Amino acid sequence: MPFITIEKVTKVYQANGESASVRVLTDVSAEIAEGEFVCLMGPSGSGKSTLLTIVGAMNRPSEGRVLVDEIDVYALGDERRADFRREYLGFVFQQHHLMPYLNAIENAMLPLATSSESSKWKRERAMASLEKVGLADKASRLPNQLSGGEQGRLAIARAIVNEPPLILADEPTGSLDTKTGREVMEVFLSLNALGQTVFMVTHNSENSALANRIINIVDGRIAE
Amino acid sequence: MRISTIAFANLKRRKGKAVFLTIGIAIGIGTAVALLSLSTSIKEEIGSQLDRFGANIVVVPQSNSLSLDYGGLSVSSVSFDVKQLKNEDAKNVLDIEFRNRISNVSPKLLGAVGVEGREVLLAGVDFESELTLKRWWHIAGRKPEGDQELLVGYEVARALSLIEPTSAAAEQHVSHGGSHQSGEDQFQFKIVRDRVKIADREHPVAGVISQTGGPEDQMIFGPLAHVQALLNKPGQLSLIEVSALCKDCPIEDIVAQISQRLPHAKVSAIQQSVRARSETVERLTRFSAVVAAVVLAIGGLMIFTTMMGSVIERTKEIGVLRAIGFRRAHIIKGLMIEVATISLLGGLLGWATGLLASWVALPYFAETRVVFEFQPMLAIVAVLAGLIIGTLSSFYPIVRASRLDPSEAVRYV
Repeated sequence: MPFITIEKVTKVYQANGESASVRVLTDVSAEIAEGEFVCLMGPSGSGKSTLLTIVGAMNRPSEGRVLVDEIDVYALGDERRADFRREYLGFVFQQHHLMPYLNAIENAMLPLATSSESSKWKRERAMASLEKVGLADKASRLPNQLSGGEQGRLAIARAIVNEPPLILADEPTGSLDTKTGREVMEVFLSLNALGQTVFMVTHNSENSALANRIINIVDGRIAE
Repeated sequence: MRISTIAFANLKRRKGKAVFLTIGIAIGIGTAVALLSLSTSIKEEIGSQLDRFGANIVVVPQSNSLSLDYGGLSVSSVSFDVKQLKNEDAKNVLDIEFRNRISNVSPKLLGAVGVEGREVLLAGVDFESELTLKRWWHIAGRKPEGDQELLVGYEVARALSLIEPTSAAAEQHVSHGGSHQSGEDQFQFKIVRDRVKIADREHPVAGVISQTGGPEDQMIFGPLAHVQALLNKPGQLSLIEVSALCKDCPIEDIVAQISQRLPHAKVSAIQQSVRARSETVERLTRFSAVVAAVVLAIGGLMIFTTMMGSVIERTKEIGVLRAIGFRRAHIIKGLMIEVATISLLGGLLGWATGLLASWVALPYFAETRVVFEFQPMLAIVAVLAGLIIGTLSSFYPIVRASRLDPSEAVRYV
């Protein structure tokens, strides 16, 4: 049984107040097994990020459905889908989207803020996740006191603090130089080696070469 | 880390905006508190002044009267079975249960006397209580002190040639009553004669009441006991004027209690006066409430605009929080904590500044010295009002923020 099932997903964006619509994805189907490292590649505007947000339970498809661990994601209500994101997914954004007013450990702890666990427990979990990405010694630094690569790693630490079974990454090395991009990729590889499923959007063929499998998408359709 | 940690960190990060919002709420609440405090104090003062300004209850002897009509011609009513009011009755008025609501009791005896060939209405009064009651009287001369000294009404003084018109008699001016004292007042006459003959006896004239347009212009006032002796009515009274403090008391109850105490007297409330007092006070309260509401509405709009701006500015941040698993309720909670903190501080600051402002401003609005007291209820209401205004004004922006589509929000930047 695949861990992620994307079943005939179509996404059409309707411009506000206009009759014209933009079809971004058409009949996309794919399956990803648990523990797989899959890269989604394709030219700009091909619908990669849209597909990632659909799998990430953030963007309802116009047609089709997405199952993660046999859960029909869009059959869930809005608040339950938020719970699903918190429990199942770790999202790494291209721009990292760290909170500039929180230090590294607080940023890593962010997905735990809604939990009723003790502050001590949360801190320990956040510190463990910072250790995994090699930032334990920079726990008290603000994001602007970290290098680009460190910020990328911090974004990964935040994504894995809940120990989600699936990590979604949208061009996580897109804003980094080659060296720091490689550092970040190494973190993903080590997490995948520990059994975490990684689904990553990338333009970078060097990065995709490190994945178990590549899905190509062109003009909103899976390319054979 | 809790949601509150993020909220407080956000407030700390956006100090300028937080301070601006706090000041905005503080100005709104402060203005409302200042206006309400001022209006309450002024209301108290006006109420007290009005209550002391004149009688609102009149006690006269009980009598039965009969209107007669004979052959189509009206004949003056005939009074019979007239009871008498005595000096003790004035004291008895102060024996009622609501005696602490009575600010003044002014007994009077009225009678016509011949004064230098003219018939004049002579009133025997207790000058202390009479002058307290008639604060609008301006006296040229001085307040009577001796047991035969008189106060003469303007028209009588003119008729008896006690005064002469002038515009330079200000030095004789002694205005009675604190609220009427003004050095700029000018009497249009000066006293040229300070003695008058009543019933063939010389009486010293202490002062002349400047023209009021009222019945006192036609009267002479003398000490009650002396007038009773002059009119040969020892211990008798024609009427008793009573001033009751009736800002919020039922004047009917006071009337009933006096009637019960003086069964031989007819006690009437001057309803018009009471109504006028409460209307004045009500108008002031309504005006303050309207101004306070307008200021608070402006404050609410300011909070609304700032929060809308803040939500737009934080679209990405809210989108990230939604993407990592924050529920709508979590977003609302975080933003509400921020708004509530600001509103609470604004409410407290507004209450303090409002009180301070009203304390500073009050002397310019009120003539009497009003002592400020710590009013815990006002503090609670001010803080609650701050919270309600802050929360209501932010409600729409916050709900809108919670409804942000996370994928759109993250793509926003």
